[in-house]
Amino acid sequence: MVGNLGIIQVTTWLLLVLLFPAIHANREIGNRDEVVDCSDFYSETRPTTNGSGLLRGNLTSSADVKQIGSDKNRIPSSNEDLVERSITSAAGTRYPYEENLTIRPLPNSHLLTSFSFHMKSQKFVPRQSSNDYNDYSHYTVFPKAFKPMLDRTSTRQLSLRFTRGYWDSESWGRLPHDGFRSGGSGVELWATIESRSKDDAFKQWKTLANSLSGIFCASINFIDNSRTTFPVNSFQPNDLESDGLPIFDHSKQLYLIRAALANEPICTENLTPFIKLLPTKGKSGISTLLDGHRVFDSLWHSLSIDINTRCNNSTDTCHYYAEVLIDTVINVPSVLARNERPIPKPVPSEQLRCDLSKPFDAFRCFPLPEQTEVQYSISQIFGKHIVGSNLISDEPSRVCVEVTDRWNAFVDVNGVFYATSDNCFDLRHSINQDIHLEATDSRSVAHLEEAPVYVSRSLTGYGQDRGGLRTVFNNPSLEPITLVYFESLPWFMRVYLSTMKLDIDDSGDQELTLQQVIKSMHYTPASDRSRPTHLEYTVIVPPKTSFSISYQFDKSLLLYAEYPPDANHGFEVESAVVTVLSPTKYQTRTATLLLLLSTPDFSMPYNVIILTSTIMGLIFGTMFNLVLKRLVTVKEADILQSRNKSKLKVFKERILTKLIDLRG
Amino acid sequence: MRMDATKSIVACFVTRLVLSALFPSLQAQLDKSVEFSTPMTSFRSLCEGVYMLKNGFPLYGGGVVHQSPLLILLMSFVDSEHLLAILYAAMDTVVAYHILALTRYFTQSLQIPLWLPSLLYALNPLVLLSCISRSSVIFTNVCVSSALLCAVQGNVVGSAVAIAGAGYLSAYPILLLIPLCGMGQNRQQKARLIAVTAATLAVLVALSYWATGSSWEFLASTYGSLIRYEKLFPNLGLWWYFFIEMFEMFLPFFKAVFNIFVVSFIAPITIRFNKQPFYAFILCLAWITITKPYPTLGDSGFFLSFIPFFQPLLGYLRYPIISCLLMLHAIFLSPIFYHLWVDLGSGNSNFFYAISLVYALALASIIVDLTWAMLRIEYDEGKPNFNLKLTQI
Repeated sequence: MVGNLGIIQVTTWLLLVLLFPAIHANREIGNRDEVVDCSDFYSETRPTTNGSGLLRGNLTSSADVKQIGSDKNRIPSSNEDLVERSITSAAGTRYPYEENLTIRPLPNSHLLTSFSFHMKSQKFVPRQSSNDYNDYSHYTVFPKAFKPMLDRTSTRQLSLRFTRGYWDSESWGRLPHDGFRSGGSGVELWATIESRSKDDAFKQWKTLANSLSGIFCASINFIDNSRTTFPVNSFQPNDLESDGLPIFDHSKQLYLIRAALANEPICTENLTPFIKLLPTKGKSGISTLLDGHRVFDSLWHSLSIDINTRCNNSTDTCHYYAEVLIDTVINVPSVLARNERPIPKPVPSEQLRCDLSKPFDAFRCFPLPEQTEVQYSISQIFGKHIVGSNLISDEPSRVCVEVTDRWNAFVDVNGVFYATSDNCFDLRHSINQDIHLEATDSRSVAHLEEAPVYVSRSLTGYGQDRGGLRTVFNNPSLEPITLVYFESLPWFMRVYLSTMKLDIDDSGDQELTLQQVIKSMHYTPASDRSRPTHLEYTVIVPPKTSFSISYQFDKSLLLYAEYPPDANHGFEVESAVVTVLSPTKYQTRTATLLLLLSTPDFSMPYNVIILTSTIMGLIFGTMFNLVLKRLVTVKEADILQSRNKSKLKVFKERILTKLIDLRG
Repeated sequence: MRMDATKSIVACFVTRLVLSALFPSLQAQLDKSVEFSTPMTSFRSLCEGVYMLKNGFPLYGGGVVHQSPLLILLMSFVDSEHLLAILYAAMDTVVAYHILALTRYFTQSLQIPLWLPSLLYALNPLVLLSCISRSSVIFTNVCVSSALLCAVQGNVVGSAVAIAGAGYLSAYPILLLIPLCGMGQNRQQKARLIAVTAATLAVLVALSYWATGSSWEFLASTYGSLIRYEKLFPNLGLWWYFFIEMFEMFLPFFKAVFNIFVVSFIAPITIRFNKQPFYAFILCLAWITITKPYPTLGDSGFFLSFIPFFQPLLGYLRYPIISCLLMLHAIFLSPIFYHLWVDLGSGNSNFFYAISLVYALALASIIVDLTWAMLRIEYDEGKPNFNLKLTQI
């Protein structure tokens, strides 16, 4: 083995010496406008590399992507690559870690970038205390913060979502990862916890939430029983995992618990802990692109982490699998414009692109649509280069670009552009790299799969004392769709489920009733300050149909101290979750809602106490006098009063005389 | 005379039916108004209860249902809109009939036509609208009026059962057992009254326990949330704003104080006017109307319908004009101020709070005036002497 490695090392150095002029040449001819003939290069290098899996890219021209090497016969493209490869091989440090970046242009000059990082923990034996000091716990690539927390709370599966923005599914198609990896606006957390009872599970859940709150610098610790639900049909871990979750202690049960914080602002302080979880810590590999300013400057972004436990029954060992996904949708022209003009200023008149077919002079300019011929690089979008590859894994950092043939994607290594047949690039350099995209027609994007169902929810009514919720289901396909609708509403929305009704579009001549549409329903009414309304129902949406389901609710008043400081801003209602079960698996969420509650006058507590008490005192006092006092004529009363007065006078005189006596 | 009396009863039934037939949306509108519906009595929460019952969801333990389980069970059998309209109209007609029957008992002392009190009840807009709103206050009112009638007729068991029913439906009317005891002729009767009431209540609660699937949760959801004032909704009472604004650590104390306030004058009024137990009963009813946690205009309308029985005393009233004006002020301005606060946002909660204070003052001035009149006629030994100037010391 050592000998082999030595030989490889020697050949690498040889290659380096041999190739140096060629690479140098490459750099010089790295101008995309020239077609580079690199057949020499190809033939020369093929025998030596022998499929050892270096950079998959090939040197190509810009106009027609010319495939030079097949995937089987990859060629080295730079000397550093080889060196680096050998060093890691020699050290033998391989960790179960993978990272990928998928770049996908969307219609209207939007760009979806999906980062994914997969990590696997060291194997561990369930039911074994980790307090055995002879047994070292190695974490390697698995985030160290998680394992003790997962062990302590007996969490078998954990999903955490930080999402902000609006995913325009009508023009962008399905959500990334079929929606299973993005949450509603705000923070969403669900976990499967092994516990003896529901109450114990809730306690473990609180511990978990508090720990996560610390790790992610988010207000997850505000999750309490008034926000926590136990989903019945949604969020089933078996939806995605083929073989269910393991139970370590068979006297216990698994509890699925979920909560969401809709008003949580997602910002850079949440991204930093995400990057810190990765073994590369944002120092190398694709995670170097993750810059808070750019990620949160997007139209839609979703940070998610999923941890699962998978066990091998034969060896009785388990692993934790962590998957960290970061998806963003960026409007490319606006980001590029900001690069050019960090301080927003009006575009100078000579740079305005005006439609000359329409009236056009010094004062009028009808703007032309965005240019469809574009070229930009990822470093312009994220403001950073990709620094090398991750150096610790078998798999190199991989960047894939999903585009049509109107687009060209290149990896830019030291100013040289390389392309591949499948637009995927394995990064193996420890130097700055970049992905370059250009399109002759940016309107042509890779096929977008249409979302199976469109669901939107809105508030109805105008008063601050009551309102309604209206959810519109729209099935554009030709197949009936079965979905589970999950909704968790705050307790101060007092839902009247009896008012639930179905309205169907007038244009269709279909007749639908609630009973036909809703197949099963789970409803747990809210309990004041201790439980949210939990509503889950299975709906079948017939093909090419749109209908709405609505119901009414009352808004309760809160106690003086329960209103937040910005009470008149309103209360965020978390998004409803729609899980499509058939014909495909898909999950989507509605937008969050802003619920306005009527508020008391916050400056009034003392006044109210005084005024109400005065009225009560007045009523009580008057009644008390009436019931208790003697009724006499006014004359009698006068006499009695004067008698009282004279008595008082006598008493006073007596005291005075006594005093005088004492003096004397 | 007799024909006129029957006509007033028929008028009561017809007006309600005609109104709900002519304005079908009026019911929902009134059910949403804070003056006629509270979380404890609203028709929509009753409907929700029926819906939950029919669909096998748990009735209590959260949610919006705070009505008694047996009432919900009974209402689940009435599923047609017309039947409901007829049922509520019939219930109100029963109250009107009770008032007519009571008038017959006091026909010697009252110088008013026999049909007047029941006709006033039939046309009393507060009661009328409360009936249209299908507030469950009406069932309590039926129980209270029948308890009163039975007591006047000397039917101890009937009145005991009726007052137990009222107590079962909305807790606070059980306090009226005390003035009912005052109406008992002797100790034996009083003991029987209390025993039958307790037995009926026990049976009703046991039936509810059975009806809700052997669970005591309904106690906390109905009486518990009533006495602990758990649902913060604006209404015409004194409680809501006080408890919203109160500092949290004092809440239990003041909830106790407010409950004691309800109880405080029941026994004193009964004892003070033990010679006129019927009037003591009505004053106690008024006292509960003003102090209860979730009052509606239906409650005060019911109490005001007994004012004609005070006809001989009306001359003694010291400030009837002020009372009337306060009452009108509260009734007319409350929907406006509530609208300004909640819908338009151009007013704030203090607007409606002020109205609830005025309403309390209005009812208080009526009660105080009636009590004063009772004391005066007692002083004059039944022969009114309006010129005599009296005072209290």
